[in-house]
Amino acid sequence: MATYAEMQQIYDDIRGDFRYDSELNGCLNCGICTATCPAAHFYDYSPREIVQLLWTENVEQIYDAMQEKIWACAQCMTCAARCPFKNSPGGLVAIMREVAIKHEMQSAKDVLRPFGRVMLKLITTGNQLSPDMIQPDHFPDWGPNIQKVEGDLSVLRKAIPVKTLQTVETAWEVSLKTSVEMYTIWEMTGVMKSLELMDENLFDVIEDFIDEKREEYEEWLEEQEDED
Amino acid sequence: MQDTVLIVGAGPAGLSAASTVTASGYKAVVVEKEEILGGAPIISGYAKLVPSGEWAKDAIGRMVSRVEEDSGVTIHKGAKVESLDGEVGSFTAKLSNGETVTAGAIVLATGFTHFDSINKPEWGFGTFEDVLTTTQMEQMVSTGKIACPSDGRVPERVAILLCVGSRDRQIGREWCSKICCTVSANLAMEIKEISPETDVFIYYMDIRTFGLYEDKFYWKSQEEFKTKFVKARIAEVTASPDGRLLVKGEDTLVKRPIIIPFDIVVHAIGMDPNEDNPEIAKVFGIGLEKHGFIERAEHYTNTCGTTRRGIYSCGAAYGPETIDDSISQGAAAASRAVADLNALVQKAS
Amino acid sequence: MNSKDPKANNETQGVAGHGSFFQQTDLSREEAVKATDWVRKHVDRRTVDLGDRMDDVREHMYELEKDGEIIIHRITDEHEPQTVKTLFGWEKKIPTKQLWHHKSCGQCGNIPGYPTSLMWFMNEFGYVPGKDYLDETDQTSCTAWNYHGSGIGNVESLAAVFLRNFHQAYVSGKQHGHELGHFFPLVHCGTSFGNYKEIRKYLIESAELREKVKKILGKLGRLVDGKLVIPEEIVHYSEWVHVMRNRIASELQKIDVSNIRTTTHVACHYYKMVHEDAVYDPEVLGGNRTAIITSIAQALGAQTIDYSTWYDCCGFGFRHIISEREFTRSFTMDRKIRVAREEANADVMLANDTGCVTTMDKNQWIGRAHDQNFSIPIMADVQFAALACGADPFKIVQLQWHASPCEDLVEKMGISWSQAKKNFQEYLKEVENGNIEYLYNPELAYGGQA
Repeated sequence: MATYAEMQQIYDDIRGDFRYDSELNGCLNCGICTATCPAAHFYDYSPREIVQLLWTENVEQIYDAMQEKIWACAQCMTCAARCPFKNSPGGLVAIMREVAIKHEMQSAKDVLRPFGRVMLKLITTGNQLSPDMIQPDHFPDWGPNIQKVEGDLSVLRKAIPVKTLQTVETAWEVSLKTSVEMYTIWEMTGVMKSLELMDENLFDVIEDFIDEKREEYEEWLEEQEDED
Repeated sequence: MQDTVLIVGAGPAGLSAASTVTASGYKAVVVEKEEILGGAPIISGYAKLVPSGEWAKDAIGRMVSRVEEDSGVTIHKGAKVESLDGEVGSFTAKLSNGETVTAGAIVLATGFTHFDSINKPEWGFGTFEDVLTTTQMEQMVSTGKIACPSDGRVPERVAILLCVGSRDRQIGREWCSKICCTVSANLAMEIKEISPETDVFIYYMDIRTFGLYEDKFYWKSQEEFKTKFVKARIAEVTASPDGRLLVKGEDTLVKRPIIIPFDIVVHAIGMDPNEDNPEIAKVFGIGLEKHGFIERAEHYTNTCGTTRRGIYSCGAAYGPETIDDSISQGAAAASRAVADLNALVQKAS
Repeated sequence: MNSKDPKANNETQGVAGHGSFFQQTDLSREEAVKATDWVRKHVDRRTVDLGDRMDDVREHMYELEKDGEIIIHRITDEHEPQTVKTLFGWEKKIPTKQLWHHKSCGQCGNIPGYPTSLMWFMNEFGYVPGKDYLDETDQTSCTAWNYHGSGIGNVESLAAVFLRNFHQAYVSGKQHGHELGHFFPLVHCGTSFGNYKEIRKYLIESAELREKVKKILGKLGRLVDGKLVIPEEIVHYSEWVHVMRNRIASELQKIDVSNIRTTTHVACHYYKMVHEDAVYDPEVLGGNRTAIITSIAQALGAQTIDYSTWYDCCGFGFRHIISEREFTRSFTMDRKIRVAREEANADVMLANDTGCVTTMDKNQWIGRAHDQNFSIPIMADVQFAALACGADPFKIVQLQWHASPCEDLVEKMGISWSQAKKNFQEYLKEVENGNIEYLYNPELAYGGQA
């Protein structure tokens, strides 16, 4: 359990985000956000409650909501399109999630562990999803009939009449230079650091991958120079 | 010309102003863009007025005939002021009917425009026949029969949605329209009285039946007419296959979304600035406040003034207003105009 | 004075004025109709002057350009734009030519028939690859799926990714022998579309954010004259389909679809995020709902059927589809599939985004475990349109990747599924032998010339 000072700090970090003032203008307590919220159908989650907690600066309850509730939000942003005060409850949840990660909250780690596969793919390739991930063994609940034609995945992908899409491990072919530029973005914007806080093992795997890709790119550059 | 006051608009405020001008011994010229006098209550066919319970046609009708029978009032119907020259004490207005009016002072009683519900399309107006506005519902009440427009069945459940076109930053209308809570509570009672088997639910964000309207409308509609008030803003209105309307809201007690079937959904529409206000501001050289209503000169010492000397305003031209208060403000603006003209004459002599 | 005594009226008319002593208002039917004429007169958002009360971020963007702060990637006459109206009646230019395909990771990875159908249409219109459109390897996803799912990432990283991709779109023309800005980005993904618009708004509003990302883009060599490049409009592929719908129907349609009952699911991130930018058209759904998807179905002559959960989200949830699957499948089965099936009795549900198609398409099978024995074909608007225009269900529309019963729709359209499948299996043998058919010369993807 966190101390009051820690909880206050978490709240201050949420409030300190530059989006906070435009995403939370006040609250009429009208409930339109919850009325239209898909997550509220199934979880103990109400965007109106989140907004009220933030607006009334209830730091203990905010901390409590960050344990589980904020991860229920589906980020469809319907709430933001409907709110008569033009708040964005979904946007506030996004800020709260960022702060949960910054504070290394165990709940965030637990929630994100099953999402690691997607993060690995994203950070290393710039694609979130790849054909080899959407296979029956990953998604047994999607049934045996995910595809309508049996066959080797790489052959089926080659039967897509667009060159960039004939890939298996990425959704489309991303040039090496593009990937390396993206790694720079991750580093300079603190994304790698958040990743390290969340999952050190995943971070190590990704770091190794990035180093490898960078070396590959350097070699390629040298080859280009030699050719010139 | 210093004995004449030009009044633009012949709704409750303008009619009240005209009568006050002539009662003070001055002449009034009334310019009304419509072909009939009476303003929104007459033109839009309001039924019973709050709080008197009188028919609009009777109540506002009395004001109209008082002005029409008044020899001190000259009336131009179907006309607009197209240009204005001069200054306080000697204005010259050119009208769209070719006439010229000279006046020492001007009262703008130009009122408002009803919010059009099609600007809130997710609430089903224009998509489903059984979604109506308060004014349409008032018309139904005045026929003495409550029925679904789609198939004529008697509704089991009617929902009135408050703040349609009010208190909504999504559509640039941040103001409260002031009258809709009371009007809706009144409407709920009228519906129940005609159709006792119909239950009426009012969905609200806050209830603003201010002053003496609290017990007369808010409480009474619950105590005597079993109107259900539910604190929830509706997200969307859709229809089920049997044609019933489905209203998506939050059950605020359990913090859960719920979908409730209704037979009729009524939009309690709010008051927009007069859609002609940009033109009015240009012709009369006056300012508008940030919502688009006419800007007041100074709140405490010149409460009937506009940003231009010699031009006054009143009623819903300044912002959402009740009929009663519009009538009082019309009288106040006329009194102030006449008083200022009087002072001008005294000073000159 | 009016002859009626109002006081007497009140006493005889019951408390609220009616009851058994109810007295009519004396308006004739004609009078009553006339009295409510104003209700039928539309004072709509397209005419009401909202003044400064609704902020159009594009105006601030033009100011920043004037102040020399940014470069706007303009839509010019060369892009042959069409103008559409958005929610508040504002105008938005949709370029129809010289487009830079900004792909969607979920579509390409999972529903490749989206981008292939789109490029197929461009070819059918005689577009020259490398000149009238470009698909290349120098782009990443918007990374917003991850951000919305996990909270890892931040506005700065999303903004840098946005600017890097759109800088490449801006300079790609030059790399392919045209002018800077020749190719205008066409965003395939709904979440990218919503996310980019949100990020563009933050970039325009916050000098601090611009300063921060400028350093990153500078390091990447992704500035032009030391400035950030921001596109004039963020344009979604389904908006291209919308403005091309009449040409698609009149020039390319081969199959009569008037017997097909379609329902639409428009992506939340298309019309709810930065919703003032979504396309509305008075001719489609009375202008009361976004025109996207319905407009192409209408243009093709298909039936468009309403259903009670039209506004609902699909249940995708970003993280949920991966690791909260019971939510995703319950929501999509209960609030979308069941309703489209039982209420609307639809032949197909059309969508315009990545996650929605995936969610609704893939989660039908598991429903049987919960006695939810209903299913419905799920595909994108552009895939349905391509089928109607005679595209091959496998080679072009790529329906083999769908789990929902798309074969039912194909058969109802009069196309033989089994024959098409047989042809495709034959083609797969050709593919194994290296005889691959392409929509454009593959070299273009790597910077080659047309």
